[in-house]
Amino acid sequence: MFHSLLLNIRLFFRGAVLSYIALFRWFTPPAYLASKVIAPLSYMLFFVVLGTFATGKESASFYIIGNSVQMAAMSGIYGVTMSIGGDRWDGTLPYLFATPANRLALFVGRAAIHVLDGILGVFLGLFWGITLLGLDVSKTDPLVLSVVILITTFSTSGFGLLLGALSLLTRNIMFVNNTVFFLLLIFSGANLNLSLLPEWMQTISWSLPLTRGIASARKIISGSAFIEIAPLMGTEFLIGVLYILLGFLLFRWFEFKAKRKGTLEVM
Amino acid sequence: MASIRPFYLTKYLRVIASTFEMTFRQTVKDAFILFAVLFQPLIIAMLALWMLKDKGGQYIIFVVIGSGMTGLWSSLLFISGNGITVERWMGTLESLVAAPTPIQVVVIGKNLANVLQSLGSMVVSYILVSFIFGYPLSIAQPWLFLISLIITVVSFVCFGIIIASLFILNPDVQRWQNGLEFPVYILCGFLFPIALLPGWTTPLSYLLTPYWAALALHASAQGTGTIANISFAWGVMLGYSILYLFLSKRLFRVILKKARVDATLSMH
Repeated sequence: MFHSLLLNIRLFFRGAVLSYIALFRWFTPPAYLASKVIAPLSYMLFFVVLGTFATGKESASFYIIGNSVQMAAMSGIYGVTMSIGGDRWDGTLPYLFATPANRLALFVGRAAIHVLDGILGVFLGLFWGITLLGLDVSKTDPLVLSVVILITTFSTSGFGLLLGALSLLTRNIMFVNNTVFFLLLIFSGANLNLSLLPEWMQTISWSLPLTRGIASARKIISGSAFIEIAPLMGTEFLIGVLYILLGFLLFRWFEFKAKRKGTLEVM
Repeated sequence: MASIRPFYLTKYLRVIASTFEMTFRQTVKDAFILFAVLFQPLIIAMLALWMLKDKGGQYIIFVVIGSGMTGLWSSLLFISGNGITVERWMGTLESLVAAPTPIQVVVIGKNLANVLQSLGSMVVSYILVSFIFGYPLSIAQPWLFLISLIITVVSFVCFGIIIASLFILNPDVQRWQNGLEFPVYILCGFLFPIALLPGWTTPLSYLLTPYWAALALHASAQGTGTIANISFAWGVMLGYSILYLFLSKRLFRVILKKARVDATLSMH
């Protein structure tokens, strides 16, 4: 039992590191700078300037915080989904499904490094916000903000795992990724006050990751205490767990069907 | 391209037409292109509509044009930009450079298909705003808008040749592709005036063809520009187009040398 646990932990970490390396094997320093620094910064600047153009300079922090936390989705959606889908595109899926490895450790391990990457991305966004755009963080409790970022990145990566499992059913992973990422720009409340949206859209918003994370980060940066955001964060965490479970079920269903029908690489 | 006689012109037009058709058939079903041309501009339009809601009715057409421009630029950067690189991936680049037709002519046909296809961004944004959101939309100066649109297509096709050439010649430049999408949205004032940006960025905006295209299209659609202003933007776009064609001639000379003399074109 103990030995099996150790094996699974090893599988989790090795899978996490190797899948990350495999996904970003094409990264050179210029590509890293373009994809991980310039692209997120410019996308944040675009929405911050658009937002301040729409509602005035005094609301800049609303957009800076929203888009900084939204960075979690860059790793959580693109990275995690591609890590799962990458096994299919690189032809390693049959080997993976032939092993007796614990599927949960293997599946969840794909997201682990992306959670760390996502956290780094959010902090980088906030750093740009503070240094370039004058975000005031004087009332912020850094520890609580870190907890908010950790939970939000976790839940977003959970959503990414569900999309990753879906990516095994379609050829167009990038289409799914891109569409979900851009829809999150609306639904997460990064750029909009959610009360502006119709009720049915608000219902979708509150069933997605990020929404509560962004709302909590805004509260913490404006000086609220942890107790005020604890219920939001608790739900955000549960949403993450729910998406991971849904993704895992879909992953197992795909494996079961593919093995039975011999359709592992058909779709 | 140096000695374009009527015979060559007809021949080149035929190559452009067949490349156009082939590219269009290839890309019209591509999910990534559908996203860049239709979905992304649509989502940006929806977002901008909500964000700029309090700015008043005159901003509605601004959003339609601006979000359409984002689709035009993204498709130029990712699709036209990869126009020659894709040939390398497919192993057809050598055949193309060995053919008697100049490769620029083929690239023009490909870019024309991509740029015209990406005009769908504006159509989709128009449909969203007009029919789904129910806002009344009108183009204030339709003729000026139409001419602006035609010149925009010409200038984007020419700009695409430069981008594609630079990407094939230097893969390090192509690695910046992901980082070039939103900076151009910002610098070209697609959805907000560049006056909101720090002054030092203004010369950078002036150097970009999409800025002048956005200026002419926004002004003619909203009716906020004079004929002098708009025709100045046309002039700049046409000037840049000539410059790009001239530069592309030199860049393609290097590409052909790499392919025919050095045999290093496919080695990156």
